[in-house]
This record gives sequence, C-alpha cells and structure tokens, in this order.
Amino acid sequence: MPTWEEKLADSLNPQLADEIDKFATEITLRKQGKLDEKVFAETRLRRGCYGQRYDNGHRHDGIRSQELRYPADLTKGPDTLWDAPGMQRIKIPFGGMNPDQMDVLADLAEEYADGVLHVTTRQDIQYHFIHIDDTPAIMRRLGAVGITTREACGNSVRNVTACPLAGVCKTETFDVIPYAQATAKFMLGHPDAQGFGRKFKIAFSGCREEACGLVNMHDMGAIAATRVENGNVRRGFELYVGGGLGAVPHDAKLFDAFLPEEELLPFTQAISRVFARLGEKKQRDRARIKFLIAKLGIEEFKKLVVEERKTLTPDPRWTEYLGGVESYGEKPLKPPTFLNGQKRPEGFDGWYATNVYRQKQEGYVVASVTLPLGDLSSWQMRQLADIARRFSGDSVRTTVEQNIVLRWVSETDLPDLYRELARIGLGAPGAGTIVDVVACPGTDTCKLGISSSRGLAGELRTRLAAKSFNLDAAVKNLRIKISGCFNSCGQHHISDLGFYGTTLTVGNRKVPHFQVVLGGKWQDNGGAYGLPLVRVPSKRIPDVIDRITDRYVRERKSEENFQDFVRRTGKKELRSMLEDLTAVPPYEVDPSYYSDWGDPREYTIGDMGTGECAGEVVSIAEFDLASADRLVFEAQLHLDEKDYANADKLAYRAMLQAALSLVRAQWMEAPDDANVITQEFRTRFFDTNIWGDRYAGSKFAQYMFIRHENPPPAPTHDQAHRLVEESQLFVEAVVRGHDILKERGQK
Amino acid sequence: MELHRFGIKLFAAESAGIRVKDFVPVFHSWIQRQAVDGHLLVDVHDYGHIQNGPGILLVAHEGNFCTDMAEGKLGLAYFRKQPAGTGVEGHLDAALKAVRQGAALLEKEPAFEGQLRFRKDELLVIANDRLLAPNDAATFATLQSPLSKVFGAGATLTHASANPKDRLTVRIQVPSP
Repeated sequence: MPTWEEKLADSLNPQLADEIDKFATEITLRKQGKLDEKVFAETRLRRGCYGQRYDNGHRHDGIRSQELRYPADLTKGPDTLWDAPGMQRIKIPFGGMNPDQMDVLADLAEEYADGVLHVTTRQDIQYHFIHIDDTPAIMRRLGAVGITTREACGNSVRNVTACPLAGVCKTETFDVIPYAQATAKFMLGHPDAQGFGRKFKIAFSGCREEACGLVNMHDMGAIAATRVENGNVRRGFELYVGGGLGAVPHDAKLFDAFLPEEELLPFTQAISRVFARLGEKKQRDRARIKFLIAKLGIEEFKKLVVEERKTLTPDPRWTEYLGGVESYGEKPLKPPTFLNGQKRPEGFDGWYATNVYRQKQEGYVVASVTLPLGDLSSWQMRQLADIARRFSGDSVRTTVEQNIVLRWVSETDLPDLYRELARIGLGAPGAGTIVDVVACPGTDTCKLGISSSRGLAGELRTRLAAKSFNLDAAVKNLRIKISGCFNSCGQHHISDLGFYGTTLTVGNRKVPHFQVVLGGKWQDNGGAYGLPLVRVPSKRIPDVIDRITDRYVRERKSEENFQDFVRRTGKKELRSMLEDLTAVPPYEVDPSYYSDWGDPREYTIGDMGTGECAGEVVSIAEFDLASADRLVFEAQLHLDEKDYANADKLAYRAMLQAALSLVRAQWMEAPDDANVITQEFRTRFFDTNIWGDRYAGSKFAQYMFIRHENPPPAPTHDQAHRLVEESQLFVEAVVRGHDILKERGQK
Repeated sequence: MELHRFGIKLFAAESAGIRVKDFVPVFHSWIQRQAVDGHLLVDVHDYGHIQNGPGILLVAHEGNFCTDMAEGKLGLAYFRKQPAGTGVEGHLDAALKAVRQGAALLEKEPAFEGQLRFRKDELLVIANDRLLAPNDAATFATLQSPLSKVFGAGATLTHASANPKDRLTVRIQVPSP
C-alpha cells in the first residue's frame, strides 16, 4: 500500500521532511517504550500536537465520572493517554493562505479530524479529535503545500501574526507582511529560540491607532514607522516587548521608538537570546518574557539586548529579504471596478455595511467571511477556496477575530461574491460587531476550560443576531470576547464586554459562572486592559449584556465611547446594577443554572464531593471569601481613582483574607496576621501541593507570597493594576481550593 | 495499511418535527450507558451552526457518529477511524454494523417519540482516504466487489461524484426484499 511519505517525497522541502521523519521516529520510539513520556510530550507540543480535554481517561458524563478505557496502555505525556483524541494546531503566518492550501486543510480535517476547521485568535487553524498516529501524515500533506505545524505549541516562537489588512489598509505606514514573513522564517527552529522557559509571541502592525496586530499584548510587537534621514525615507519599527494577556495582562513596553528595518531580525535574535538565558525556567507561571522585563526593568533589559546584539555573528538572512520589500505586493486577479447600480441580492446591503472594507487601492475591497465561533466545515472550506479562486486569487487571510477575509476583490463582483458566500452558509453580516462573538475552545475541548465559552458565545450570537437590526449603532459596534478560564485565549481583556469562566459551589453543587470584564480597548493595538467587575452565573450573562448595553444607549453622552461610559459611570454603580443577577436559586427551584450552555450534563469540573459536616465550616469560609471579594472590588475602585497605594493595599489584603479562609478550614483559631497567614498557607497548601496543578493554585499562591515578601514602596499604575488582577485570580483559586478540601474530606 | 476509513450515511425516511439539537441529549445519554457495541464513546459536540458539517457529533475512539444534512436530507453518518475486521469487506461491514446500530437506537429513542425512521433502500458509502481511495473510476471499479459482497449482489452501485476533490462516494440502492 502506498504511503503519504512515499507519495510526497518529492514535494517536501528536505529540511521539513527530515523534521517530520524525526517526529515519526519519536512516535515509534515512544510506542516501544524507548522515549520518556515527558520528552515525547515536549517534542509533540513543538510540532503543534496538543492534548485535549478528557485525555487523562476520565470524563464526567453528567451522572458519574467514567473511566475511558482506550485500547493502548501507553501515554503521550504525563497523564495523557495515547489513544485519547488530541488537537493539532497549524501555523498560518500572518493568516495568509492560498486556495490550494485551503483545499488541503479541508481534506485533512475531513480525513483525520471531525470535518471541522477552527480559526483561532492568533490566526492559526486547529483540528480537534486527532489521533497522534495520524499526525506525521497530516504534517507531510501540509508541508507539501508549504504549511508547517512546527513550533505551533511548546516553548517556542509561535505563529507570527499581523493585521489582516496589511498591504491594503488606508491608514498603514507600510505593508508589514514581508517583515512578518521574514521573521517567521528566520525564527522557525532558530537555535537561539530553543531554550525558552515559555512561549514567545510576535505580532506586526501597520498602524498605531487601529487594533491592527494587537502589539500591546505580545511578547514582541512591531509597529511600522518611517523616518526621514538626509531626505530619504527610511523604514523601521516602533518595537515593543513584554506585553501579554494570560491570567494577569501586562502592557508591552517601548523598546525602541525607531528600530531600522535591517535591525529587525538581529534584534529579534538578541531578544530571544536574552530571554532564553535569563528568563525563568522552573516556574512556568513566571516564565513569559513579560516577567523578566518587569523584574529587570525595560532599561536594563534593553541594555542587555543591545550588548547581546553586538556579540552576534552577522547572518546574511538578516537583510537578504530587504531587497524585495518595497516591491512586495499581491497581484490582483481582476482589474479595479466600482459597485455601480448592479442588482443587489436580498441581504446584501446589511452584509455590505459590516463585512466590506474599501482598500486603499481604488476599486478593490476586502470582504470578511464571518465564521460562527471560528468554525467552518471541510465542505465550506473547499467551496471557499473555489470562491477565492474566482474572486480574489491567493489573497486570503485568517483573522484574530476568528474570521477569514478575501482581499483584492474587485468591487463590481461583490453581489456575486455575496450570493456565493450565502449559498455556502458564510454570508452572515456583522463582522467586527457585537454579533461577531469571539471565544476560545473552553470546556468543549480545552483541558483548562472552566466554563463553556463556546456555548455562551453561540447563545449570545443567536440572540444578538435576532435583534441586530434593532440595535443602536453604538451597541452594534461593541465587541464581545469570551475565555473559558482566566488564561485569556479568548482575549477578554481587550474587549468592550469581556468574560472569563469561573465557578462557584452552591450547596453541594457547582455552578458555571463568568467573570464580567469591562473597560478593555480593542483599538490602539489592544490599548487598554479591562478589569473584572463581578462574577455572574453563566445563564445570566445574556441579561448582563442587555442591562449594560441598554444603559449605555440610554445614558451615553453624545459620541461617548464605551470605555469612557464605563469610566464615567463607575464600577461601583455598574456592579450594583448587576448585583441581583449573581443570585443562584437552589437546584430544586431551578436546575438550569447547574448546567452550562449547550451541554445538558449537570455541570462539574471534576468529580463532585459531598461533605456531611461541611455546613458550618463552609459558611465561615463563605463569609471570609465574601470579604475577600469585597476587598478586591474596593481595590479596583481605588485603582480607577488612581489611588495606587490603597489599591495595592486592599488587593493584598483580599488575598490574605481569602488565604485565611482556607487556613481556618484546618485551623479554626488561626490569627489574622499576615506573617502567620502566609506561613501557614505555604506549609499547609503550597508545600504539600494539595492545591496544585489541577486548578493552578500554586501559581496563584505565588502572587500572594511575592507581594508579601516584596511590598512596593510606591506602587505604580502597572503594579497596582497587576496586583488587583492577581488578587481576583487568587480569590477565585481559593474558592476552588475549598472544593478540593471538600473532595478530600479534609473539611 | 489497507483502506479502512469508510463513512456511511443513512437517510432519514421520517423526521418531521425533529430538530438537530435534539440529538445532543440523546448522544450524551448514549455515553452514559456506552450504548454502542464495540465503541468507546467519548464526547458530544454541537456543530449545528456549520453548513454541511457534522451537525451533532458523537466522538468515539473507533469511529464518529454525526447527524448529516448532505443532499439537504437529515441522516445519520458514521465515519470509521480505527481498522476493524479483516480486509476491505471487514472494515466496510464493521462500519455498516455501527451505523445500523446507531440508527436502530435512534429509532427506539423515547425522545423522538417514534418520529425518526431510516431508509433501508438507499445509503451512501464514502471512502474517507484520498491516498488509498482517490475519487476516480479505477477506485470505484476496485471497490465494487467488496461493496457487492457487503450489500448484496442485487445492490445498485453508483459513483456519486466525479469531482476529484471530493471523497469517493458510492450511492447504494438496495432492492426491497
């Protein structure tokens, strides 16, 4: 029987073929027991092969926790079964794809996954329910059309992203794509990028004011800039480092206001070296470059990088691509034309209003293809490839809002294009509006998911689409982004209305919740991060949207934007407006609260435990936790008032209060003394790892320990903002810590 | 590795009043009682928002079940992932048994109140492997023998799509007994 290896032997770049061969060998060695599971886990992650929910062989079916007995008694990583379905992430640098690649992507989803392609918030494509044995064939078939999965996951340089409008945008300084392409190619497998303690994400933007490449939330971000020197226009970049979302977001710091284009790659290399050398390796939760920069300070970090740059051996790849950047450009498929009086199909006008962007090149437009939840079927992808062949050629991009755009569409073709998109179920309007809800995979497939981000997104999308024509224009243009947990893969921090999954125990049952995050900014490259406001049961989130948007429409002043409205109204008032929505009726009264959106199973994040004597202790714990919650909120109010010292103090106090609740679960008489609380907390819960990886409790405990040991003499906005975020996460983690004690019968 | 990734779609004869979303709790209940022989049922996903996608998907280690709207008609599809039996016939037969068991369970499902019935006279077989079964006349000819053995000599086999990008799909029409 033929194999893909034989069939594609002449179509693959030899280096890539060798790389895939190595991985296939590693699979064989692992099966023979000759490769350690941890080593295999890292090697597969570096090829984009991720674990998926329930791959530890346990799944709660709504009644009980079932053991999933797969045939192979083998693991592909610690606590990760070989036969359990996994996820394959595929890097799509700057989101660029051509129709031939789209065909292959469609075929692979059909043959090896579930027939669905998922566009991620970093312009990747993901397959779910993949068997690890199939991954080398997937990689070969992708490699044959110039796509790699290498370093799509793991501690490496991830997909290099860029604005989907680059090259056609009316406000860009210049087209950043040749630079993004060169960076992706140069850093792929680069020896200086192999020793990171965590991942490293790079983004490119053509302009500062738009959302563009979301530079502010990246480990390294470059915004196109020019400078006139001796009468010549020089290209370069405003370079930022140390941004990131994750549990606690960090604003990127300006590294250089103008880094000349020829220095882009050497400085990327030098930054990688410094990160690899000095970045944290043992504590994963402190290992992103943002922590290194926060520790060293941007000036010291820059000094180290500049010194490192001087030591680099010149590499011709640094500059050899530059000869082609000025002339770089996509060739339109058709001549430019304008939309003049053609018959417009039904639904066209609504779609045109939201999904069409007029390029800087007259007569051409970018058409957004809205993908509900970032999903499309293999059939749709193949059809879309044919549509691209007919209307836009190779100019197709994925976007961080989980859509696809077709660029260089000749304007007269729009009615026909719309008809075609509508025919394949991809003609929905609303791209970039409140209907176009973004969500990470959440509890659907992610091992870390706490609540159903996709379930909620689907529900909101349906409800909002139904009333979109009646929505006020100010509301229509808001964005909703949802993460299944605090890790922010759904980018909730930079959304007008952000949500992240969390949970609460009511009685002896768990109730899915979302934390409401307000005040984030999408524009200005993700220019501001929102802060948590209040935790609301999942089933009441649609009411949260209604209340907040109704009030915004009613009370906004003139052209006041949403961030200003939130600031003016104040978190205290907004929270009080939502307070009644936080109530959870007893299960016997309304069981619907106890299951998540789109999932009829009774909600759980593990096996539920019941403690006969839990009542009294829980009530005391709940009292302490309520105080902690209140303190976090008060800290936020001080932060809003720019009173950073008190914001810091109260956030710290909230952590102590929450920690005390857990300590008192074991030692009722524990005194309310910071030293005793931190010491007892460390001894009882941190050192014992009782509260370990499952809920990332250890990670959050560090927030309290660090603040306790290093109180800032005069907290800055960044420090106070971070501590408030950390205190929120810590308190939520303590809530889950109480559940662990219950499960273990230690309460 | 021989060709084993077969998909089979059974068309619904009656499905009035049934919504695709109704399959979500039904498939979850199948997992609770591990209702399909020879299958480790793992998870359920709602892809009802995607056109010509898997609809409601029931993931199993051996093969996936899903609702299917191909040709605009509701049906139950099954896609085998792991080898079963011996030879192409064995794999085909395993896929057929699985999808028939799935259909039988759905027809008996109390939630559907007897409103769901599957046709026995027509179905689609999909060779879900573009390497071992490219969509061409030669592959169709090669598969006729095992298909006839599994579906009976009286079955009419039609090559359903000539588009080489599509997977090889064979329409099987079985005469009424």
